[in-house]
Amino acid sequence: MSHIIEFDQVWKIFGAGESETIALQNVDLTVETGEFVSIIGPSGCGKSTLLRLIADLLPPSKGDIRVNGKTPRQARLDRDYGMVFQAPTLYEWRTVLKNVELPLEVMRSAREDKRGRAVKMLDLVGLSDFQNHYPRQLSGGMQQRVSIARALVFEPTLILMDEPFGALDEFTRERLNLELLDIWAETHKTVIFVTHSISEAVFLSSRVVVMTPRPGKIARIIDIDLSYPRNFETRESDRFFELVTEVRETLKEEFTRGEIDD
Amino acid sequence: MRDASLVARIPTQWLRWGVALLLIALALFLWEGSKTFFNLPDYKLPHLAQIGEAFVRPTPQGPVWRVLLQDTLYTGLEAFLGFVLGGISGFLLAALFVHWKPAERGLMPYVVASQAVPIIALAPMIVVGVGRLGAPPWLSKAIIATYLTFFPVTINATRGLKSVDRDALWLMHSYAATRQQIFRKLRVPASLPYLFTALKISATASVIGAIIGELPVGSKRGIGVQIVVGSQYNTFNPGFLWATIIMAALLGMLFYGVVALVERRALHWKQE
Repeated sequence: MSHIIEFDQVWKIFGAGESETIALQNVDLTVETGEFVSIIGPSGCGKSTLLRLIADLLPPSKGDIRVNGKTPRQARLDRDYGMVFQAPTLYEWRTVLKNVELPLEVMRSAREDKRGRAVKMLDLVGLSDFQNHYPRQLSGGMQQRVSIARALVFEPTLILMDEPFGALDEFTRERLNLELLDIWAETHKTVIFVTHSISEAVFLSSRVVVMTPRPGKIARIIDIDLSYPRNFETRESDRFFELVTEVRETLKEEFTRGEIDD
Repeated sequence: MRDASLVARIPTQWLRWGVALLLIALALFLWEGSKTFFNLPDYKLPHLAQIGEAFVRPTPQGPVWRVLLQDTLYTGLEAFLGFVLGGISGFLLAALFVHWKPAERGLMPYVVASQAVPIIALAPMIVVGVGRLGAPPWLSKAIIATYLTFFPVTINATRGLKSVDRDALWLMHSYAATRQQIFRKLRVPASLPYLFTALKISATASVIGAIIGELPVGSKRGIGVQIVVGSQYNTFNPGFLWATIIMAALLGMLFYGVVALVERRALHWKQE
């Protein structure tokens, strides 16, 4: 089973009657194991909703979703995915190390095992020296790194990221993009990455899913044929600009309203 | 310019003590000043020296301050027992409210009503009722203290347990956490700042509760009894009532201070 995610004619409708909003309309999507797929679109296109359906934080209204060949609920109960939100969502009363240990605690892993794995993950995101700091003592970028370590620590096969770098400045964002690609190369996870930044989507992904708003539909899926590993030069290559333009054109064609940054 | 730098060079510790001493001096001055200015008789406002004198006056049981200290400690024990019982029951009620909505909707009106009834009217009934059951005299006072303590705790703890952010909760769901784990690892720690705010209110309220319980006729021990005695003999011994009031206030401050100290320890992750 190499399809890690399958959406078959999935609809998500919020509210009923007058206030009914179609967040997702007839979405078909297949993601292969090991891919890095970005979902891009303006606010209100249902990209975060799509992620929450995979995570079983919301149920679909119609259609069928498979995650690792299972229902999203079963996948959640099996702890198949790790989630990274836009806000770092660290528990402020826990130290950095304790935050990373949290999923292992909940999943009742053995004690030594727990500490060791958390330390290893903090090493991976370059925060070994901050184990005993509290979240408020870290910068936004560092907090988000902790949140990524926390999503990786229990070794899920799938990482779901909901605009994780949206609140960070451009410089920090680009550095974390590079780090994320390193982590991805090292851990062989499948990543679903929601963003509203075109260059970020193109830079990171093997495929970019472009969505249209109200109702949220998939407009086009664009293959990103830039070779990995990618670096700062990638951003300056002609092919990168062509692909960014292609995504931008698709977005422009598809909607007359909605705002796109970048 | 020169003055500002001079003030800045004084250690903060000194400055704080200086301000405190200045305030005390001001209070003493206002006290004695208004007594002279409005020509107030001693039974309305005694001289400060009379209060001091009242503290050191000898009695068959030793000097007054020692007698008052013993009564204050007795009241303190009643209040402490009430504070602990009220804190626990208040928190448990909040936990029930958060996990079972109908309980909150059904019980909250009664919880609010319980606090709308003047405690001064209820207290004698509780004292007499509990006394009839043959319980020790301190129990009814502790019950009244409990009664005043649990309410702020219930209200604030309910709010605090619900104060968790949606993503923080989703994070727990993504780990397939049980309700109990969500409660222990997320809701309880998130509620602590709210809980301590309530406990600080309850700390002084529990002392008030215990004192109110001691006011009805028939009580034999506690600072509340001394307050009653003081007000009865105020014309003859004008300093004594104020001595009892000072002791009661000190007890309340002690309770508050201890809670504030524990709060600082427990919420160290919050402040710099």
